[in-house]
Parts: sequence; structure tokens; C-alpha cells
Amino acid sequence: MTEQLLEIDRVSKRYGRVLAVDDVSFEVRSGEVFGFVGPNGAGKTTTMRVVLGVLAADAGEVRWAGSPITFDTRRRIGYMPEERGLYPTMGVAEQLVYLARLHGMTGVAARRSARDWLERFGLADRGAEKLQKLSMGNQQRVQLAAALVFEPEALILDEPFSGLDPVAVDLMTAVLRERAEAGVSVVFSSHQLELVERLSDRVGIVRAGHMVASGTVDELRATAARRVWVDAPLAGTDWASELTGVKPVRAEGTRMLLELGEGADDQAVLAAALRTGPVHEFRPDRPSLAELFRHVVTEEVAE
Amino acid sequence: MNGFPERRRVDSGVLSTILLVAGREFTTRVRNRIYVISTILIIAVIGGFALLQVNVFSKINTTPTYQVGFTPQTAALAGPLRSSTSGVDVHVTRVSSLASGDSQVRSGSLDALVAGTPASPRIVVASGVNGTFQSALLSLVQDNELTAELRASGLDPSKLYARIDRIRVPVQRLKPSHSSGYQQPFIGIVMAIALYIFLGVYGQVIGQGVVAEKSSRVVEILLSTVRSGQLLVGKVAGISAVGLLQVAVIAAAAIVFIVPNHIFSLPGSAVGTIIGGVLWFVLGLLLYAQMIAAMASLVSRSEDVTNATLPVMLVLVIGYLLALGVAVPEATASVSGGELSALAGPTTILSMVPFFAPILMPIRIAASAVPAWQIAVAAVLLVACIVGVALTAARIYSNSVLHFGARVNLLEALRGS
Repeated sequence: MTEQLLEIDRVSKRYGRVLAVDDVSFEVRSGEVFGFVGPNGAGKTTTMRVVLGVLAADAGEVRWAGSPITFDTRRRIGYMPEERGLYPTMGVAEQLVYLARLHGMTGVAARRSARDWLERFGLADRGAEKLQKLSMGNQQRVQLAAALVFEPEALILDEPFSGLDPVAVDLMTAVLRERAEAGVSVVFSSHQLELVERLSDRVGIVRAGHMVASGTVDELRATAARRVWVDAPLAGTDWASELTGVKPVRAEGTRMLLELGEGADDQAVLAAALRTGPVHEFRPDRPSLAELFRHVVTEEVAE
Repeated sequence: MNGFPERRRVDSGVLSTILLVAGREFTTRVRNRIYVISTILIIAVIGGFALLQVNVFSKINTTPTYQVGFTPQTAALAGPLRSSTSGVDVHVTRVSSLASGDSQVRSGSLDALVAGTPASPRIVVASGVNGTFQSALLSLVQDNELTAELRASGLDPSKLYARIDRIRVPVQRLKPSHSSGYQQPFIGIVMAIALYIFLGVYGQVIGQGVVAEKSSRVVEILLSTVRSGQLLVGKVAGISAVGLLQVAVIAAAAIVFIVPNHIFSLPGSAVGTIIGGVLWFVLGLLLYAQMIAAMASLVSRSEDVTNATLPVMLVLVIGYLLALGVAVPEATASVSGGELSALAGPTTILSMVPFFAPILMPIRIAASAVPAWQIAVAAVLLVACIVGVALTAARIYSNSVLHFGARVNLLEALRGS
């Protein structure tokens, strides 16, 4: 069986004079969670809409299992748009069944699946009610159920965590991990970078329509400049400035963060620190996704 | 997979997707309380009208009763007169004498008194006499005289009367004409007005339905699995079916109430006209409903729907005005004067223009014999136009339905973003 690889290959989309998405490429394997981050207006939503066929790309191609995505293969993708929307005056279970059938499920399977997901989300007894009668939190749960009800092979979720209470965030996280373990390819966007770091197998950072970095968080760290924390209390402030290729970034108390440039030797730095007196701490800096994101985005702006 | 059902997928084709969309529109709307109540109310109004017609108006309009007294000498005329008089409801009473009859006529308890002898009766009235009654009595006396004379000459009067009744004068028409006369262009006009009213009501429902999906943003999820054209066609079909069901239920109720009570009768030849009219109605509905849906997709708020669909309704109004101003006068002229050449005027051409054909053609067909080629041209043009409009509408719809907020420019929607 061909692996269910979702490939976004050099996709571009232009709105009038604005190039919303410019040559964006990434791929999501079966069972993988791909976190899609970037400032507002970077092109995340547009990219997702192109994948779903809601928008047509000006250039590039989306492939599923090796062949260009078609209308029929798109129907196997669950979608949660950034702008949430279901029928407010339609019954909860009824509209889940309707959406499942639109995605090609038989009536019987659709009804069973709708019931199962409502039960899973603790809404088993609310199925007959109109959606607008439910609280916002419960409406969000129904929205997620709408993306999951037809057993999709891939999930594209635009800001699935926005507006969720902490309980719902935990539920959403658990469901996404579980779906990924069942072999579903998951793409989601979010501004909550700690969440993205925790949940994602791989991350893509977009800025102004460009994919500026992508890979596992560790891979992103590897591409970032090497930095070390040094705690040498007797060293003073400018002991490191004589070292070649070493640039002090900032100081926190007696600790200093040093950036090691091309060809700089961390062992030489440690030796220099030891010459000033005792060294209480010497460790490589592991930036969080939030720091990497800030770094990547501001660096690009500075160019 | 965590106890969830295994994937059960059927490859739903275009038609089943459209049917799913239409089915949702249909089931959610048919259960709507306002829809059910308004249908029941309209039926109640028709039923009330029928009851009123039977119990009140019919009393006002029925043939008046005429109280007629007969003296003992003329009593033999009473029975035959009652059975032979039509147009006036004669109530027969016997009076004991001429004098008591006179006084009853004077007091008004009798309308007329028949005195004299059966062979030469005399009518006694206060002042005026009912002409129908008078001529009925006259012909009764003449018939009696004639029958007696025939018998005296040895002839059988019943055979003679039967032979006379069989005599017919046939009519030979040199030009074709509708025999049923004025009622048929009336049917065509009613169908045209019905289309206009239907689109006025259900066109707005379609427009509101399009905008509701837009404003609730559910359309984005739908478009990730349904092609915009299928969504549009399904929506229009579903809502139209809801409307047609309402019309059918009301029409059926009207027939149930009206026909047994003889309030209104249709000549048998009108049935064909009505069936043809329904076909034009459905084609017109398809044409205009798609345009309305496309125009409504340009806006995002329900209060803007009326404005957005106004241009479409204006085209419909023009068709309607053409019907009243041009087609109806020509049609009625052709019926009353039997002058078919009158329809060779502007109506002939206008009735083949797709946007007006659904309104003008039923009127023409009901009024006169329309050449088959003209009906064919109108139908082919109309169907072609429906296909073109459907494609254009799908394009406008898919280009504008995801633009939330400000109204989308029609030309931009046509060109695509």
C-alpha cells in the first residue's frame, strides 16, 4: 500500500497584488502531526484552503499518496476552518450525519459514527437539540466532531485551539494524538507555541507567504546559532569579548548567554571561563519553539 | 481504530450529492413551524371561502322563489307548470276561490294567481309579473293546445316531439378557433401570475438560504466536500420542491373544497393547458431561482438579500408587465374576435425570449393555436439559457460565497479572483 503522504509542493496563491502564499512546500506522513505556525496573515489559512480545494492555487500542486489530489480524495480530509460554522438551527446529530454522508458515508455508518463521537465528547444526550442551544464550548466540540465524524484519513485544522477552555484543549490534544496513532495525517495551525511544540512531530514556520523553516523542533534548533549559558561569577562582563567568534547575547545575574559563531570552539570558551575563576554552569542553550519562532521571524524581517 | 466503526464509504456521484443537499433543504424546511402553519392557514382561508360561497353567496344569488296560487279551475296546470319552469323557483299553492286568491295577491302572500280556465288562463298580479313565469305558462298552454290538435288529427305528439328534438344545425369553421372561449387565456394569465408570486416568495427563501450558509460560515466546510455547482443546484432544487409541495397541497385542498360545491368549473380542454403551464412554470422557476441564488451569494447579511436580488426580480416584473400590456390584450382580442393574425405582433417574438417565455408562452398557448415551431424554439432557447445561467450562477457563487463582509462586485465574481 502506498503510504498516505500529503505533499504540498511549491504552492502559490495570489489575491490581486498580494502574494498570500509564495512557493510553500511541506509534507505530512501518515500518523504524523504537523504544526503550522506563523504570524497573522502569513498564509496559513490560505494554504489550508488550497489543500481542501476551497481555493484554487495559482501554481504548485497538492498530492495525496503520490498522485495529485482530486475532488474524491479531498473528501477523505477532515476540515475545521478558522471561521467556525455549522447550521445553527439544525439538530446536532442530524448535521453530523449530513456532513458524514456528504463525505461519502452510508446513512447507517454515518448515524453510528455521529452517535459515537457525541458520546466521546460527552454530548450523547444533546444530539436532538439545535446547535444554537448549546454553550460555546460544546459548539466547539461539535465542530471538531464534524471534522472527525466521517473517519477522515487526514485532518486539516485551522486554529483548533482558539477559544477553547483548558478542559477542551486537553480533549482536543488527546483526540489529535489518538487519531495520529491510528494513522491519520494531522495538520494544524496555532499561535500557542508551547502547545505546538508539545503536540507536533514536525513544525513549519511561515512568514509573509514563505515557509522559512520546517522540520522537527530539534532540527530547527540545529539550524539556529549555537548558544551556551556560562555561569562564572568572578569573570566580570567582558571576559568573553576577546574570544574569536563569540558574541555575548545577554546576561542574567552572573549567568551569560553567548552565541558561538562559525568556527568558534565551545571548549576554548569553557577554558577561558575557567581561567577567570570557578564555573558553576556551562550548558548548551535549548531554545523553545517560541524562541526559535521569534528568532526566525525577526531575523527575516531584519534582512 | 479505538472501537469506532470501520470506514464505510460509498462513492457518491454528482446526483446523489445534489440529492443529499436538496434533501437536507427539504426536510429541515418542511418541518419548519412557520411553513406548516402558513400552509394550514391558506387552506383554512380557501375552505372558509368555499363555506361562505355555499352558505351565504349562493343564497343571495339563487333563483328567486315565486309564490303562485291556482284557483280550483286552473289547478290542472299547477303540476306541469312547476316541472317545466326553469330560471324561477315556482312554489305552487291552491286557493279555495278567486276572491281569496285576489286578496292573497293584494296582501303579498302570493306573487301571482292563475285564474280563468286551463285553455285560456289569466295571470292576476299586484303590479309586475315575472317574465320567465309568464312565458313558461304561455308555452305550457300552447303545448297543451298543440298536443290536443295533433291527437284530434290522429298524430302521435310524443313521436313528433322526439323527431323535432333530434334536429341539429352544425357549424363549419373556416379558421381554427378555441371553442371554449374566454376562460383559457385566463388560465394562462393565472399561471404567469402564479410564477411571479411564487418567485416573489420562494426566491427570497432561496436567497436567504444562500446567505444563511454564508453568514453561519458552514459553506466553507461544505465546499471542502461538495462542488459549488452541486451545492447551488441542490439548494435551489430543495427549496423549490418545498415551495411546489406547498402549492400542490393548497391546489389539492382548493379542488377538494371547490369542485364538489360547483363554485368554479374548468372545461375539460383546460387540463392540457394547465399541464403545459406547469411545465413552463418549472422551467421559469429553474431559470430565475438560479439567478436569485447567484445574486444572493454576493452579499453576506440577510437584510441585503432583497437588494441583491432586485435586478432579477426586475427582469421578472418586465416580463409580467409585457404579459399584461402586450400579450393579454392580443390574446383576448384573438379569442373574442377570432382574429389569430393579431398574435403575429410583438408577443410572438417576445414569447420566444428565454427570460419572458415562461410568462408569455402559457398565455399565448392558452389563448390560441401557437405554431409548434415557435413553442419548440422557445423551449430550446429557454433550456439552453437555463444551462448557461446555471453555469454562470455556479461561477458567481463559488467566487463570492467565501467573501465575507462587503458586497462582492458582480463583475469581479464573474471574472474570478
